[in-house]
Amino acid sequence: MKQVTGVAPSGSMGSGYNIESFKRAMSLSPDFIGQDAGSTDMGPYYYGADKPFLPESAYRRDLEIMLAAARSARIPLLIGSATTNGSRQTLDQMVRLVHETARSQKQSFKLAVINAEIDKTYLKGKITSHGALESIGPEAALTAERVDAAGPIVAQMGMEPFMSALDAGADVIIAGRACDDAVFAAMPVLRGFDRGLSLHCGKILECAGLSAIPYDLGEPMVGRVRHDHFEVEPGNADYRCTTVSVASHSLYERSDPYLQAGPGGINNLTHARFEQLDPRTVRVTGSTFVPDEQYRVKLEGAEHVGYRSIVIVGIRDSIMIEQLDYVIEHVRERAEERFGISREGIHLMFRAYGRDGVMGAMEPDRHIVPKEIGLVIEAVAATQDLATAIVMFTRGVMQHADYPGILTTAGNMAYPFSPFGIPVGPAYRFSVYHLMPVAAPDECFPIHYETVTY
Amino acid sequence: MPAPSRPLTDYAKVIRSKNSGPFEVTFDVMFDDRAPYDIVKNSGAISVDTIAAAFGIPVKQVLVCTPFDAGMAIKVTIRRTVSSGDLEDRDVYGCQQHVPLTRIAVPG
Repeated sequence: MKQVTGVAPSGSMGSGYNIESFKRAMSLSPDFIGQDAGSTDMGPYYYGADKPFLPESAYRRDLEIMLAAARSARIPLLIGSATTNGSRQTLDQMVRLVHETARSQKQSFKLAVINAEIDKTYLKGKITSHGALESIGPEAALTAERVDAAGPIVAQMGMEPFMSALDAGADVIIAGRACDDAVFAAMPVLRGFDRGLSLHCGKILECAGLSAIPYDLGEPMVGRVRHDHFEVEPGNADYRCTTVSVASHSLYERSDPYLQAGPGGINNLTHARFEQLDPRTVRVTGSTFVPDEQYRVKLEGAEHVGYRSIVIVGIRDSIMIEQLDYVIEHVRERAEERFGISREGIHLMFRAYGRDGVMGAMEPDRHIVPKEIGLVIEAVAATQDLATAIVMFTRGVMQHADYPGILTTAGNMAYPFSPFGIPVGPAYRFSVYHLMPVAAPDECFPIHYETVTY
Repeated sequence: MPAPSRPLTDYAKVIRSKNSGPFEVTFDVMFDDRAPYDIVKNSGAISVDTIAAAFGIPVKQVLVCTPFDAGMAIKVTIRRTVSSGDLEDRDVYGCQQHVPLTRIAVPG
């Protein structure tokens, strides 16, 4: 039967996966291995600081297994969003790992490297010609000033650059920031299969075993795209996909279950049908891709907002806990006098874990008085030194603050360790999350080819 | 006399929250059987208004609220008050914001 079979080792490169399940998946004669290696999910730090989420050793381990398997089976290996933010710098790091792994395994292949970091002069030219770019997140449209204030800005590529690289005969494709689904849709669409089905199959595969039962990000998944449907099954013979587990996954991390916007269009799952083929395999039909009139790519980036320092303490005294709001108000006033917090735009925050640390204003049980509170005193200021000075001053005032009914006058807070003040480093916020129109899907994703020979 | 209302957790198998991009948090209410799904879906217990009330946010901050028959699930998406990892944020993944949803009462 005419089909394209893809294997997804794990939902997130570097987090590891079940090797036995991966071997079984590879025994099903796949046509490619696809792997997602990035996300905005871990927050703006990785975008602003331009660093991968995990230590290099984690990516190296996953890469060694995938590269050996792909070369042994003579099938392409596609890695998207290398690494985390998928910028030039983190992409280069992954390419270096590919070379080092190829050398140690004595592998030879054609390598394609696809850059997704956007040149800021080019981007500002877009703003000049198209006007400020439409926001899909931040309050304001994207202006030249916002571009300059941001760290590296990446665009999410669609499937087209991957298709070009596959068509050029690349054995290994390492891409910067990419739409997760596109990594898996490229080969089926290149071979003539339906774009909507291929993207929907990609959406299931990109999180690997998260759509299996039991669900597990580290369980490989197998997807087969055919003429009018696709099928998915877990690599692990003891795991299974059900119509509900697969259909439910269409919801995961998406705003709308029916209409899922991606590079160049919307995948419409309104008429998707899920059918149990055997106890472990689900067949899906009816997903359709609706192209936009104007192809647009999503831009992502984060801007520096200062330096963060924290002090972590525990509070056990029940009277102090009852008076916590009073005490915080008092120490905030003292910090205001000393540092001019509001005048200087300094961020001073008290995260009271055990009370409302996780949900803040949305906490429904704020009235319950806890037995113990874990308090994180946090400052973000213009310099690391200033941020540390603020949290250390604040914790000092708080340590000996007087409050109504005080019983314990030798100190209000327990310190879990010494030192007290922890410089966390630079802090960022997502400032670029906008749509950029392009004349062609590959306009801002140049491909570099090289022959790797060891 | 109408039957007393029951909490959503009596019907749903999974109630979860997660980022959908850095500027939204999305909720999935999932069921393992058609009957409880239909009861909740048809009860009107989950609507833009009840979601806004449960989280104490303006109605316009609720972006999506729709049943998804194929997955026996109800999908809700809200705009984050602050983006993931921004200065006032408390949950970078947005994966612990589901509790108010579990308290929603389903009319009997």
